[in-house]
Amino acid sequence: MNFLTASFADDFYLNFIKDDRYLWLVDGLKTTLIITILASLLGIVIGFLVAIIRSTYDKTGRPKLLNAICVVYLTVIRGTPSMIQLLIVNYVIFASVNLNKILVGTIAFGINSGAYVAEIVRSGIMSVDKGQTEAGRSLGLNFKQTMSMIVMPQAFKNVLPALVNELIVLLKETSIIGYIGMMDLTKGAMLIQSRTYNAFMPLIAAALIYLAIVMLLSFLMTRLERRLRKNERREG
Amino acid sequence: MNVEKGSVLIEVQGLEKAFGDNQVLDGITTDIHQGEVVVVIGPSGSGKSTFLRSLNLLETPTGGRILFEGTDITDPKVDINKHRQKIGMVFQQFNLFPHKTVKENIMMAPVKLKLMTQEEASRRAEELLARIGLPEKADTYPDMLSGGQKQRVAIARALAMNPDVMLFDEPTSALDPEMVGEVLELMKELARSGMTMVVVTHEMGFAREVGTRVIFIDDGKIQEENEPAEFFANPKNPRLRDFLSKVL
Repeated sequence: MNFLTASFADDFYLNFIKDDRYLWLVDGLKTTLIITILASLLGIVIGFLVAIIRSTYDKTGRPKLLNAICVVYLTVIRGTPSMIQLLIVNYVIFASVNLNKILVGTIAFGINSGAYVAEIVRSGIMSVDKGQTEAGRSLGLNFKQTMSMIVMPQAFKNVLPALVNELIVLLKETSIIGYIGMMDLTKGAMLIQSRTYNAFMPLIAAALIYLAIVMLLSFLMTRLERRLRKNERREG
Repeated sequence: MNVEKGSVLIEVQGLEKAFGDNQVLDGITTDIHQGEVVVVIGPSGSGKSTFLRSLNLLETPTGGRILFEGTDITDPKVDINKHRQKIGMVFQQFNLFPHKTVKENIMMAPVKLKLMTQEEASRRAEELLARIGLPEKADTYPDMLSGGQKQRVAIARALAMNPDVMLFDEPTSALDPEMVGEVLELMKELARSGMTMVVVTHEMGFAREVGTRVIFIDDGKIQEENEPAEFFANPKNPRLRDFLSKVL
């Protein structure tokens, strides 16, 4: 038993304390978080735009060209691996420009996430009863006003769990960014491993950090959801 | 809108509506006059709801014309939103906005469409809530109301726009029996106040008591129309006779 604890402490020292190796995890985590936040913002912007264009087309038959572009975008992004997309963005699209890697990652993951957000939001818009639109229109509100004041707030509430889930997926997906030469949490752990020849400590540490963030997000989501649902509960 | 009593508010001319091969409305022609309470009855699938929903273009007609206050609203160049502001509509399923309080439901359209300021709309909402007997529900969310209360709020929401005509699409059909009375009572009060109303309903008592005219639609056509006493006492159309024998 003594031997085991002693060996754990030694391993811990070797992997995290010696030469300040824990800093690789800290720096990597920073990159992971920055890319996740920026890409999710970009994804939400793209996703809402695409969802609105697609559902407007579903309801009114216009705009035809924009809708066609959106369909191609969704098909390509959802039909190819995100790793390939990341490599293409880095080595093909931005091959000749010396762009900040954070920006490259943000663009690649943002474009990827946008496709999934778009389908989530579109399903949310479809989940709102047709009668809500009819009620809005019958009062003289135009399509845009009805969408923004009546349909979207309800759609957003309906898809909030799915959106947080997409954020969780995105966070974990960024672990492939090491392939374009960035040090994120995963790459940081691998660098420690390459120095210490110990796989267990750094990889488990990285896994626990991802897990902790995901659990925190789920917890926040549950609370937010409960607040948003307040007006749906009946008295008594 | 100052229209003298009895003048024509809505002119329906040869109205047609087809969903694919299914001809739901097959040439409906009738006039709705100021102050009338027109009750539309008919078997399910007869086209009566489609007829009502065409009057504010929630259904786009595939033929014929609808003139509202003299304007052909089936003309694609017409800004239908402007005219819908003057045509109130009450739905079978209430369709209150669940993310807004009762008062916000009533205030939303007049404020958003800049017909009233926030304060004016608030005062108007309070007046209407008092009129429908629910002043204490202003800050409640719709899901906490009973069906009858929801429908009364939906009526108030439509009235907030000061419409020239109110359309009712089976307003009591989704209600528990004990709540039908409160909604019909409010509609009667509305009729007595001179509101022009077009009501699709199965409530024959309402038709008889409040209606100024009853229209029987079947197979997408007006089969018979008359003032209520005569309509119910001496139905001429065999289909109407058959229908009345089932519902009365």
